[in-house]
Amino acid sequence: MLNMVGLKGLAAAVAAALCVIACGNGQSSAQPSQTAGAPVTLKVQDYSVEQTDFHKQVAAEYHRLNPSVTIEWTSIAQAQYEQTLPLAFSSKQAPDIFYWTTGGPSAMNNLLASGWIQPWTNDAAAAADWEKRWSSGSFLNGITLKSGKVYGFPWQDTHYWGPGYMYMNKSVFQQAGLDVNKPPATWSQLSDACKEIKAKTRAYCIAAPMKGVDFQRLWFALAAGRMSDLFFDYKNGKFSLDDPRLIDTFNYIMGLNKSGYLAPGVNDKDFSRQQFAAGQAAIYMDGPWMVSVWGQLGFHSDGYTVAAHPVPDDTPRGALSQRYSQYAYWLSSQSTHQAAAFKFIQWVTNPTGFFVQNFLKNSFATLAFADNKKYLTDPAWKAVFRIGDSKGFRVVYPEPLLKCPGLADSKAYTMASTTRPNGEYEVMVQDLVNNRDVTADARALVNMRQTIFETQLQKEQASGLKVSKDCYTFSDWTYDQSYNPANYPKS
Amino acid sequence: MRQGPAAERGQALAAAATEPPVAATRRVPFRGGRDDSRFWICVFLLPFLVFYVGFTLWPLVATIVYSLFDWDGVQPLTQFIGVDNYTRILGDPLFWSAFRNTLLFAVLNTAIKLPLTLLAAVLLTRRWLLFKRFFRTVFFLPIILPVALSGLVFTYLLNPSNGALDSFLLDHGLLKQPIDLLGHDNTALLAVVLISVWQIFGQYMLYWMAALTQVPEELYEAADLDGANERQKMFYVTLPLIRPVAVIITLLALVNALHVFGIIVTLTAGGPGRATYVVSYFIYTEAFQNAPFKYGYASAAALIFAVLAFAFVSGQGLLARRAERLRQLYGV
Repeated sequence: MLNMVGLKGLAAAVAAALCVIACGNGQSSAQPSQTAGAPVTLKVQDYSVEQTDFHKQVAAEYHRLNPSVTIEWTSIAQAQYEQTLPLAFSSKQAPDIFYWTTGGPSAMNNLLASGWIQPWTNDAAAAADWEKRWSSGSFLNGITLKSGKVYGFPWQDTHYWGPGYMYMNKSVFQQAGLDVNKPPATWSQLSDACKEIKAKTRAYCIAAPMKGVDFQRLWFALAAGRMSDLFFDYKNGKFSLDDPRLIDTFNYIMGLNKSGYLAPGVNDKDFSRQQFAAGQAAIYMDGPWMVSVWGQLGFHSDGYTVAAHPVPDDTPRGALSQRYSQYAYWLSSQSTHQAAAFKFIQWVTNPTGFFVQNFLKNSFATLAFADNKKYLTDPAWKAVFRIGDSKGFRVVYPEPLLKCPGLADSKAYTMASTTRPNGEYEVMVQDLVNNRDVTADARALVNMRQTIFETQLQKEQASGLKVSKDCYTFSDWTYDQSYNPANYPKS
Repeated sequence: MRQGPAAERGQALAAAATEPPVAATRRVPFRGGRDDSRFWICVFLLPFLVFYVGFTLWPLVATIVYSLFDWDGVQPLTQFIGVDNYTRILGDPLFWSAFRNTLLFAVLNTAIKLPLTLLAAVLLTRRWLLFKRFFRTVFFLPIILPVALSGLVFTYLLNPSNGALDSFLLDHGLLKQPIDLLGHDNTALLAVVLISVWQIFGQYMLYWMAALTQVPEELYEAADLDGANERQKMFYVTLPLIRPVAVIITLLALVNALHVFGIIVTLTAGGPGRATYVVSYFIYTEAFQNAPFKYGYASAAALIFAVLAFAFVSGQGLLARRAERLRQLYGV
C-alpha cells in the first residue's frame, strides 16, 4: 500500500509525465550517422499521389537489389506537402530526398539559402560520370551546380512536358458533325467549332476550370498563342498582365464565356476533367499529363484526340515557355545517408533501368534522362510528341540567372511574384465571371509587382549586388523564338 | 518593559491554546493538513496550467513576437522589422476586403441563424409536436458532417453545369438559364452564409432549447389563465426570460462566425477571384499557401484581426448590457 510520501511522488511523476507529453519536442526520427554495411532507411517525399503504387514497386525492387536499404516513399497532396515540408525541416524531421520545384531556375539558390539541401555527392568524378546521362548543357552553374558540386538534376523533360495541349472528345465532336482530325487551329475556328457544338449537342464546348489557380489550364494555352504563358515579359523586363496582347487574350476568353461556350461554374480542374471525360464538354486544355489522368478516369485515347492549342488568326504570335525548371528531387541537408541516396538516385535515373521503364509505362511524365518516345507508345503520346516537335510550339526562354549570376542572391523577383502569388488568376476570374474589363485590375496588379521588383533590385544594387532590371531584359529576343545561349555573356 | 524570548514563547503558546482549532476542522484526511491541500491543488492544476501556457499563452506571445519579424517560418528569427508588418497590413486592400467580408458574413450568418434556430427550438419544445426526436436528429445531422464534406456536397449541388438545384429548376421551367450562386460576386458570399447556417443550425437550436427549458412552466400556466395566446406568450413570457441567455448566444454566434474558414476553403477558395476572401483565409494563404511563407505578415494580420474582432464583439456586449439595464430601469 502506498504511503503518503509515495502517493505524492506518484502524483508528481504523473503531473511531470503530462508536462513532458504536452511540451515534448516530437523529435524522434533523427538517425545516427550511417555506418558501413548498416541497414539504411531512405525517406523520399513528394506529392505525386497518383504514383503511390508505383513507388511501392520501386521500393520493393530496390530493396530486392540492395537488401540493406529500405525505401520509404511517401506521397501526399500537393497543398499539404508544401505546408508540411517546411515544418519538417524546422523540426529536424526532413526526409532524405524531397521534391521541390517552387522557384523554377532559382530553386537551388532558394533551397541553399534556406539550408535545406546538400550536394548529391562530393565525388567530382562520380558526379561527372552521372551527368553524362543528360544532354550537354543540362547542368548549369547557378541553376544545378554550385562551387562545382551537383545539387540538382533535370527530372522532367521540358520539351514536351508543359501546358498548351487541346484535348477533344471524339464523341461530342462527332455529334456536332465536326472532324477531330481537323481540330480548330485558330481562335476564330475554335469559336466556330464551339458554335456548332452548342447548337448540335447538349455538351458544353470548353470545360474551363476557374477555381483557385486552375484557370491557368485554359489561360496558358491561349495566352501562349498570343504572347507568352508567363506573367513576366522577358523582352522588356516587366510584369505583363496589363500587356495589350494578354488583355486581348482575356477578352477573347470573355467572348467565349459570354457566348456560352465555357462550361458554367467556378469549377476546379478535377470537375472540369470529369466533365470532359463524361462527354459533358467537347474540349479541355491542359498538359500531356492528362494522358495518364484520362486513363485513371477510365477514358482512353480511343475516346479523344490531342491537338496544339489554337492561335490568333492574323496577329503576331508567341509560344509556350521552355525554362530551366525541371529540377524536382533534392537531397536534404538533414540526411545522413548521402552515399546511399546518391546510389539510389543513380539507379532511378538509369535511362534504361527499372524505374524509367515502369515510370514511362505508367505515363506519369516524360523524363529528361530517358528516350521517352521508346516507351510511350499510346496514340495520344505520339500526338503529344508530334505537337511538341512542331516549330514554335514551345521555345527556350531566356534565363536571367545566366545573364547575371548575381541574381542567385537576389530576392527581387521572388518578392514581387510571391506577393499575392495568385493575383493574376484572382483578378481574371473575378472579372471574367462578372463580365468586367480586366485592364484596370491588371494594371494595378502589375504596378504593385513592378514596384516591389524594382525597389528591391535598387536596394540590392545599392548593397553591392550586381543586379538590375537589365538582367531581366532581353530586347533582342522574340516571343516565338528560342533564345540563343551564345548571347549570354561569357563568364 | 522588554520581555525575554522565553516569555514571548509562553504567551504565544497560551494564545494558541485559547484559539478555536480552525486548522483541525479543515484538515484533509492525509497527514500534513493545509500544506497537503496546497500540494494537491498544485498537482491537479499543473497539467492544466502546462496545457494553458503551452497552447494558449505561448502561441499568443509567439504570434506577437513573429509579427515583428520578416519570417518565413523556417529560417532563424533574425530579421526584426518592428511594426512594418502592421503598417503594410493596414495598407493592404485585400486584408480590408477580407475583413469587410468577414464582418458581413458574421452579421448575416448571425442575423439569419438565430431567429431561425429559435423558431425551430420553440416548435420542438411544444407539447403538441409529434416526432420531436426525428426532427431534432434531422436538424442536428449537418453538424456532424465534416465541413469538407459539406463543401463538396454543395459544390456539386449548386454547380450550374449539372448541379441538382439548377437541373431541377431548369427541368421545371423555373429557370431559363442556369444560375451560378457561387460564381458571382453578388451571390457567392450569401450562398456561403446560407450553407453555413444550414450546417450550424442544430447547434444553435440546442442552445435555444436549453434556454427555453429554463422558463418556469407555471408562467405559461398563468399566461393561459390570463387568456394569452401563443404569440403573446412568446413575446411577453418566453423572450424576456431568455434574454440574458440570448445575449450570450448572440455573442457566441458572432465570435464563431468571425472564425469562418473551412467552408470557404472547400466551397469557394476565396473566389470567384477574391469575392469571398475572409480574414482567416487571408491569414492561411499568407502563412501557408505559397512558399516562401509569410508567417510574420500573417501573424500581424491575425493580431490586428483579433483586436478588431474583440472591439466588435465587446461593442455588441456593451450594447446588450446597456439594453438590459434600460429594460430593468423602465421595468419592461
